[in-house]
Amino acid sequence: MRTIVQALSLLLFSLLFFLATYKLPDWLLADIYLRLDPLLGLNAIFAAREVIGRSLWGLVTIGATLLIGRFFCGYICPMGISIDFLNHLFFRKKKYKILKTETSLRKAKYLLLIVFVMAAITGLSLAFLMDPIALLTRFYTFFIYPLAITLINLLLDLIRPLSKALGWITLTHLHYFQPVFYMSAITLLIFGGIIALNLLAPRFWCRYLCPLGAMLSLISPLGIFKRRVSEECNECKKCQKNCPMGAILDDPRKTHLQECFQCRTCVHVCPQNAITFPASLSIGGEYSKIDLSRRGFIYSLAGGLGVGFLATHTPFTRLQGKHHLIRAPGAIPETEFLRTCIRCGECMKSCLTNTLQPCLWESGFSGLWTPKMDLRLAPCDQNCNVCGKVCPTQAIRSVSLEEKNHAKVGTAILLKEKCLVWAQNKICLICDEICPYNAIVFRPVEGYGRPFVIASKCNGCGFCEQRCPVLGDSAIVVVPDGEIRLKEGSYVVEAKKLQLEFKADPGDDKFILEGSGFKLDGDTGEKKKVKY
Amino acid sequence: MDKHEKITRRRFLKMAAAGAALGVAGRPSFSFAKEEYDLAVISGEPVAATKKALEVFGGISRFVKKGIRVVLKPNMSFARTPDVGTTTHPLVVATVAEACIRAGARQVLILDYTLHRAELCLERTGIREACRNISGVYVQAVQERKFFKEIPIPQGKVLDRVEVIKEVLDCDVLINLPVAKSHSATGVSLGIKGLMGLIWDRESFHSRVNINHALSDLATVIKPQLTILDATRALTTGGPGGPGKVIKTDLIIAGTDPVAVDSYGVSIAPWYGQNFKGRQVEHLLFAHQRGMGKIDTDQLKIYKGTL
Repeated sequence: MRTIVQALSLLLFSLLFFLATYKLPDWLLADIYLRLDPLLGLNAIFAAREVIGRSLWGLVTIGATLLIGRFFCGYICPMGISIDFLNHLFFRKKKYKILKTETSLRKAKYLLLIVFVMAAITGLSLAFLMDPIALLTRFYTFFIYPLAITLINLLLDLIRPLSKALGWITLTHLHYFQPVFYMSAITLLIFGGIIALNLLAPRFWCRYLCPLGAMLSLISPLGIFKRRVSEECNECKKCQKNCPMGAILDDPRKTHLQECFQCRTCVHVCPQNAITFPASLSIGGEYSKIDLSRRGFIYSLAGGLGVGFLATHTPFTRLQGKHHLIRAPGAIPETEFLRTCIRCGECMKSCLTNTLQPCLWESGFSGLWTPKMDLRLAPCDQNCNVCGKVCPTQAIRSVSLEEKNHAKVGTAILLKEKCLVWAQNKICLICDEICPYNAIVFRPVEGYGRPFVIASKCNGCGFCEQRCPVLGDSAIVVVPDGEIRLKEGSYVVEAKKLQLEFKADPGDDKFILEGSGFKLDGDTGEKKKVKY
Repeated sequence: MDKHEKITRRRFLKMAAAGAALGVAGRPSFSFAKEEYDLAVISGEPVAATKKALEVFGGISRFVKKGIRVVLKPNMSFARTPDVGTTTHPLVVATVAEACIRAGARQVLILDYTLHRAELCLERTGIREACRNISGVYVQAVQERKFFKEIPIPQGKVLDRVEVIKEVLDCDVLINLPVAKSHSATGVSLGIKGLMGLIWDRESFHSRVNINHALSDLATVIKPQLTILDATRALTTGGPGGPGKVIKTDLIIAGTDPVAVDSYGVSIAPWYGQNFKGRQVEHLLFAHQRGMGKIDTDQLKIYKGTL
């Protein structure tokens, strides 16, 4: 039963993940798992010092946990499920001993939670480092997704001769765009590390480290369903040995209510059938207290504040006003952006052109894994506004296509010493040809038409930078100058105020053949069926 | 926009000068066949005009025999709707595709190596939608090198080899379905310029070699049996990507001579605000000089019809 729920949850998580791309319908909440994560929500709300609508979904999880207990970890959390499944795959036969440091390790997750909350209070978004949903979404984005596409394309290549022979035309030409990301290896190592910790104890991550687990365990003793052991118990301790969370005490009748995620493994293994999970309104219990040492508590408080101070007081902080990174269109102003972004990687996954890439150190520690646009790699397409749609904290605002195309991300500048036309008198007009906004014009200089950028028409989409045929860095590059970063309000209005004019032509979304002013001869425009 | 027009005019004038200088070498041949037209120029709505144009040439069955494989090459390189004028009108494509199937073609592949992301182009141009329900017709945009194959260009002046979409090399009949638009590097982009959508390395046309020579080289190896120019509207400025000025010209121009079709196409609208002749377009002139077709429209036998 639990395995089925888990499989379904992981499937749903994966499905929503893969659906998070162009053209994501508005009604589909592809980021729902991230929204439901109360730690990410709390982190963003504290760090941004603002109530974020989508983050309030976390209250659903809190409410459910208050009602039922810490079921999330055992049934819903896709990270927990991945750990369970991979554990089953790799470490099934492993015999575990109880760790000597068990008691103090249990505290670690609470201390980490305190660190993350304190860091958020200083304005540093840090929970992303260890929040399981953000971590797994990142792992999916930077590793699973590119790998899946590679495997699918490999399969398509393998069956291509067959498809061709059988006349399956579409399959013969099918090829999926291969996404690539800068930080795949690091992300894989982190996930691999988490799985490897299972060598020490089952669900090591969930027991000792997961800050979301810590947060939920704080309230889980209030839940209705609690483990009860009847008089039939003969203290065989089979339940204790089999509990994946180590939630059963030396006296097998007693339970760590914070740790129990109600998998009911104990119910099934008990030879006496002595264990039940009845609904009970009694609150807490003697083993529901969390015993953090005063020292540990103070250290973690100080640690969180310290990390927050260190990460938010660097030269990078002062340079935030002069930042050099191109952020996604609709990204809120840089300082707020860094505070609000939870580094889940969903925007980078959803990016149609693969221009959104994770930062390593480009804007310091506080910018780790934040999305930047790598316009030499790929441009931003004016038909697509998915990155904002899937952003669970709205660090990238979800706006209409019209608004998005007015959310100027920067301005192209022409490097005359590199440009083929300026430096070598060659005929090259690729930047002009590709520019969707007519922001590049040719003017005669010394007998040749040479390209100029009209800054007021350029919204920084980067088609020119990507297509420039010069090797190495492009001869036309987009810099953040002139970007429009708004926390609220209309980009169209702002652009008008600044006398900018972006006449992009994404075309009419509702275009249908009949509406084009042309008619099929004589008929009513109905679709034709031809047999042969 | 004014300035834009001025420079482009200048470029055109330069082409004109080059044309006049080199044009002497061109020896247009005359067609004496009574029933044979060089061109069909039909004014009307896209579907009817396209059908009529095919009729003038004795129907598509003159080119498409039973059981053969046809490749149609429209311009669907940009993820823009037909009204922008950067891509071939979907109804022109669908009409030709349907005619091929009716004539007994086993398979009609509609192919282009798109400049924008393939999915978006198929969706935005309306071409996939227009052909959705015609069985045997497949609309495919390719963007991967594995779908191309290198061939030599024996008569190449600036290119000695080129990688072409495999299906084009394998097919029985290639029909070019370009759209009429201005082009910032070649003046106009019609049929011959449109062939660039079938080759892998387009960047070098702009950076390494003279694009006008390269295009005429390309025309020596990729020879569509029929060219049907969608001039239902012409993007007369801002081409090839748009946005620009779109003039409603309501024409379909068809012919077996790729140079003749393009040359006539040059004359249908003022490009960048000025009228030109085929001879004034460098790549057409080169193609003509290398014997690939007739360039002087006054010496062509043209069927003109209005619907």
